[in-house]
Amino acid sequence: MGRQYEIPVGAQHISLLEPLHFKFTTENEKIIRTDANVYYVHRGIEQACCSKFKFRQVSFVVGRVCGLCSISHTTAYSQVAEKLLKLDIPKRAKYLRMLVIELDRIHSHLLCLSHVAENSGFEALFMKTMQYREFSMELLEAVCGNRIQYDFSIVGGVARDLKPETGQLILQRLKNFMPQLEELVGIYQHNRTLSLKNKGVGVLSKDDALRLNVVGPFARAAGLAVDVRNETEDLLPWKEVGFEMITDTAGDVHARNMIRLREIYISIRIIQNIINGLPESALLTETKAFPDGEATVRLEAPRGELFYYAKGNKTQVLERLKIKAPTFSNVAGMVHAFTGNEYGSAAAIIASYDPCLSCTAR
Amino acid sequence: MKKIETNLADLKKDIGAFYKPELHHFIVMNAVQCGDKMEVQWFFNDYAYPGETTCFYALISPEEEVPGMKDIVASAWVAEAELVDLMNIKVENTMKGFVLEPDFESGPLLKKK
Repeated sequence: MGRQYEIPVGAQHISLLEPLHFKFTTENEKIIRTDANVYYVHRGIEQACCSKFKFRQVSFVVGRVCGLCSISHTTAYSQVAEKLLKLDIPKRAKYLRMLVIELDRIHSHLLCLSHVAENSGFEALFMKTMQYREFSMELLEAVCGNRIQYDFSIVGGVARDLKPETGQLILQRLKNFMPQLEELVGIYQHNRTLSLKNKGVGVLSKDDALRLNVVGPFARAAGLAVDVRNETEDLLPWKEVGFEMITDTAGDVHARNMIRLREIYISIRIIQNIINGLPESALLTETKAFPDGEATVRLEAPRGELFYYAKGNKTQVLERLKIKAPTFSNVAGMVHAFTGNEYGSAAAIIASYDPCLSCTAR
Repeated sequence: MKKIETNLADLKKDIGAFYKPELHHFIVMNAVQCGDKMEVQWFFNDYAYPGETTCFYALISPEEEVPGMKDIVASAWVAEAELVDLMNIKVENTMKGFVLEPDFESGPLLKKK
């Protein structure tokens, strides 16, 4: 038995730009045990949503939970509030919500891929991926008015319409992006240096994914076919716009990269279908009711299942709001999948989890 | 959402009889203040009937200790640690300080009286 060393990583670390702390116990460079500590920054958003803000204002508050996936939070909250209000929203609003969610997924997946490349020591690929990602940020700004933290979904529908010329701009930019995406897939799939760093590294088996209740691309890369878009047709008609489940079996960093890249193709198809078949209707359903009872909503954010629980009491202010971010579900799987790997691979493994502690420490 | 009432004595038996990792996805735990009591909730989703969320709940007093579920639901320790820190609930074999620093205000999500 070699000498054991404990190596702390985070909360401020060059490969982990999140308020998350790992303590690796290593023996001969191999990680034999991982301890995790999360958060460090508790913002009290749930408390604020149940005390300071009226239920209609809460969608703007939860949009600040996370800059990267604010559309997921505002949509999930709007859906749970609509359930409490027994409100059916216009079909055009549902389509526009899906449009922004998929644009958001493209930029989030590309951001994750770029970090995996960077943490694998492939700086040039990091910069190329970030450069190609820029179009999605510009499109989000064109649709929502903001590059991040877009207050697009509101209780009852959406806050803005999609102009026909913006729809055409999106289609054109997606067409321009396709060869860039092909180029990225070629590099992430076949580059020998990246393969040596990513293949067979940070493996999570399907059994462990099931046992540890892992969600999102992390689970799908392990062969677990879970995607909330496959399940919640009543809230957003994903199958109508071309959703398709993507899974892999290897469960390693490479598989997680490939899942995200293949999901970008699906997102592009969904966006094209939405723009080409956007129904004509109002954008908002108005109501003067107050939320009452309990409701839950699940929504597939870029990192996996986002869960909202809300309890209303027939007043303007909610009784309780609970947010469960995807990263929260993946903490147990993240801790598990380090074991047996070289310490030198930890940075790439962390990036491949795509952790977002901003969501988790809401 | 299907809600199933249980109590602390039967909790492990009830959830143990229900939960199968290959059939059910554990979502999260939650707690809601109901007057002097606390409603502790365990949310599950069914892989076979994906739209269906099942919620086990137990009404407890603040001084009661909730049994830990780690031996039944392997990932439950994260949700238990969160409730200990944010709602000041006592959970078997779970210490303060995973989510928040140990000297942070106790139960920041509890309603202020």
